[in-house]
Amino acid sequence: MPKVKMPKSSPSLDMTPMVDLAFLLVTFFMLTSSFKAPEPVMVDPPASTTEAEIPKQVFLVAIDPSGRVFVDITNNAVKTQVLTKLLATKKLGLEGQDLNKLVGAGPLGMSIKQFPEYAALESSEREAFNQSVRGIPYDTTSDVAKIKASELYLWAYHARLEAHNDFNAREAEAKKRNLDFDKSQYMQFAIKADFDVPYTLVEKVINVFRQAQVKQFQMITDLEDTPEI
Amino acid sequence: MAQLDTGGGAQGGKGKKRAKKASTAIDMTPMVDLAFLLLTFFVLTSTFSKPKVLRMIFPEKIDKNDPAMKAPEVKNGLTILLTGENKIYYYKGSLRPETELIETDYTKDGIRKVLVESNLDLLTQLKGFQEELNKIDEKDTAKTNAINAQVTQAQKDSKLVVLLKHDKKATYGNVIDIMDEFLIAQIAKYFKVDDDMAEMEKKLIADYQSRG
Repeated sequence: MPKVKMPKSSPSLDMTPMVDLAFLLVTFFMLTSSFKAPEPVMVDPPASTTEAEIPKQVFLVAIDPSGRVFVDITNNAVKTQVLTKLLATKKLGLEGQDLNKLVGAGPLGMSIKQFPEYAALESSEREAFNQSVRGIPYDTTSDVAKIKASELYLWAYHARLEAHNDFNAREAEAKKRNLDFDKSQYMQFAIKADFDVPYTLVEKVINVFRQAQVKQFQMITDLEDTPEI
Repeated sequence: MAQLDTGGGAQGGKGKKRAKKASTAIDMTPMVDLAFLLLTFFVLTSTFSKPKVLRMIFPEKIDKNDPAMKAPEVKNGLTILLTGENKIYYYKGSLRPETELIETDYTKDGIRKVLVESNLDLLTQLKGFQEELNKIDEKDTAKTNAINAQVTQAQKDSKLVVLLKHDKKATYGNVIDIMDEFLIAQIAKYFKVDDDMAEMEKKLIADYQSRG
């Protein structure tokens, strides 16, 4: 019986479709992914069944397990204004480049006096610095005058003011250009606290914000399934 | 590897000698490698789910020394006291020296059962409305609005009022868990009481715990 000769096929195969697909996926992931903002503190939030998503513009208050308060503003224009105002209250000032560095440095958890020092640090040195800071100072008594003198109150007060100005400016700009304006883009206050933080502490922080006329808070939580009742 | 083949160069033969065509095939291996590297990177780093939020509203602080501001009397009340070690105590009605605390926990058969049972009136009403909503045509806005108005009214008329208090040992996680339970049991009226528990409530807890 003659041997059946298998036709010799070339070992190289056409990979064009695979490569096409690979590039398609790369493009998709590049365009859709958003990077996690750098977080100086590890916070493990509790879970809830709500499905509301975090608003785009937030004033984020992070409270770590040891009770330190870190804040961040997602809108850089507002953050720049707020930082300038805060520095002015302590008769300090930062120039363009340094101010930009501070704005881009993510959440801040130090007193205003330490801002220039933090802005001068390299990004690799910031982590160690954040380990040593004591969080934004705030008053834990219920004395209104003392609360209003605390730095956290200044943050809340100026952020609310600047967010309002920024919102109005954007609305005016949109009107001038005849564009639609999304009214939901108003800055909201979000709290991300660790599961194990005593609630009394969170309440004290909230009380500072309530003095600054902030009444609504978005508590950041992990998602869990809604049970049947 | 992936390559573009454009028919190869001139192969021997007669006729005029043509200029040798340079092959247009490029080795695309490095590019493809890079593409896959990027793909892996983005697949692993991308986060799809945004964090979720639970909304809490804190009304204006009340000046306790103001005689016009009286604490409203709560008749059909359920007061929940949060304390350390993930323990919950609750009592029904107003606080009296003879009030007995009941201990419960954060499980399905714990506080959730208590809340659902207390809120049964509203829950059955809401369920009825939901069934009506399912029956009618989605496009019938007039009817949908009418039912939604009824839902709002039912929530407004709900007699159950839940008060939430905590002491220094309760954690933030405890409060969020309870708030979440309120949402699950669809409680229409619940309030987070501003200050710590009343002295009597603290004493009741201490008594309960000493009894073992």
